[in-house]
Amino acid sequence: MARSSIYSGLIVTGMLGLLIFSIIYFPEHYLMISFLFIGLTLIPFLLRFEMRKITGKELVLLAMLSAVAAVSRVPFAAFPSIQPTTFVIIVSALVLGAESGFMIGAMAALVSNLFLGQGPWTPWQMYSWGLIGFLAGILRNTWFMKHLWGKALFGLITGFAFGWIMNLWFIIGFLGEITFSSVFAYYATSFYFDLAHAVSNVFFILVFSSGWIKILQRFKRKYGLLAT
Amino acid sequence: MLMSFLHPFYLIAAVLLLISLTLLQGLVEQLRNRAKSFFFLTLFIVAVNPLVNHRGTHILFYFRENPVTLEALMNGFLMALSLLAILILFISYNFVLTPGRFLYLFSKILPQTALLAMLTLRFVPLLIRRLDEIKIVQKSKGMTITEGRVKDRAKNGVSLVQILLTWSLEEALQTADSMKSRGYGVTKRSSYERYTFTKNDIISIVLLLVLFAGCLIGLFNGYGNLTLYPDLESTSMGGAEWSVFVLFLLYIGFPLLVEGREQFRWRYLN
Repeated sequence: MARSSIYSGLIVTGMLGLLIFSIIYFPEHYLMISFLFIGLTLIPFLLRFEMRKITGKELVLLAMLSAVAAVSRVPFAAFPSIQPTTFVIIVSALVLGAESGFMIGAMAALVSNLFLGQGPWTPWQMYSWGLIGFLAGILRNTWFMKHLWGKALFGLITGFAFGWIMNLWFIIGFLGEITFSSVFAYYATSFYFDLAHAVSNVFFILVFSSGWIKILQRFKRKYGLLAT
Repeated sequence: MLMSFLHPFYLIAAVLLLISLTLLQGLVEQLRNRAKSFFFLTLFIVAVNPLVNHRGTHILFYFRENPVTLEALMNGFLMALSLLAILILFISYNFVLTPGRFLYLFSKILPQTALLAMLTLRFVPLLIRRLDEIKIVQKSKGMTITEGRVKDRAKNGVSLVQILLTWSLEEALQTADSMKSRGYGVTKRSSYERYTFTKNDIISIVLLLVLFAGCLIGLFNGYGNLTLYPDLESTSMGGAEWSVFVLFLLYIGFPLLVEGREQFRWRYLN
């Protein structure tokens, strides 16, 4: 734990340095810097996953959950921004922990984009969904995540946060002048989509989370992952 | 490149080159399907910029007592062209870099992640098929996601996914056992390689790097970028500007040249 917090500290300071450096030296290249930023955030997680010795069962479980998260968008194709992908990622992370949560979120984003077509948004989606999984895993043993209302609140906040992060790549790159009013105008247009995402998260968590957590815990035991 | 050279001539040329590339690759259908959404996105950016951004000295007219400036309009136009070029580029990218090639690239650097991605990728069509079966069975019990209130439809949708989850996790144990019985994790994993590095690849890489460096040098010397503030620069180009422009054209047009050469050889020299 001590060593990993040193690493995270280094990464956070490194990122801050990169941000300040980019603002001073490349004020006109926000988008490129932001891609560098996202890339550098993804890399430590992927490297950690690479270095772990992982059994076939764990690998298959992670792949199946990522695929379920990606495919769960299919029955909801008719409604924009209502999809249970975020919900699937949150409950998986609550059962399997932060690192698995991150991988499931990032994989779900990557793979669904391999089918739907990649774009400049792919790393951002990997980042946002991965981060939601990571946070849910980190917070899973805190007192408020033990309560249903705590999980619902987490779903509400992450629903908005996902949309806000996803807005960024567009704003940073293509809205030109980044002023308070232009950013505000853009976020105002996306508000109802973010609201729909957040409210549907809360709804899914309230209705389904306890059942899903029970199912996943049973499979965790069945796959022999009781120790983790 | 497409995000740094904010100059109308450069970007218009880039958009035209990239459109010809997608056409040459036979991606007419994809281009046509997205043309409408591309058009509205471009229009949105062109329209929003002058409304929220009032910097600049050339005031065209007043909209609700807010000045609409030529600079802001130009800025929106440049941003929109830049986005358009990138979106068109991604049509071609998705065609050239198929999922298989994408994963091949990553299996060198991140083998375990690439394997996970490949497994996930293989499960997706399987799960979509299973979801269809579940949908049909549940429909006979009256559970539907196409009618009724949004709340009930959402609930039914997740119930379908829940059935899919339990079924698939149960089945996936078999996949894991079969992997284990075939010796997964016993020794270092080897991978099948289909792609070899040829002399042409090296020449292409060197050429692209040289062109890229030339463009960057031009960019850092202030070429290829239209100054908007404080004074709007004229769009006309001088002597040195033209040479940077040619380098830029060669860089963006490189895949077009490669693709064109192949097609020419295939059609006419065969």
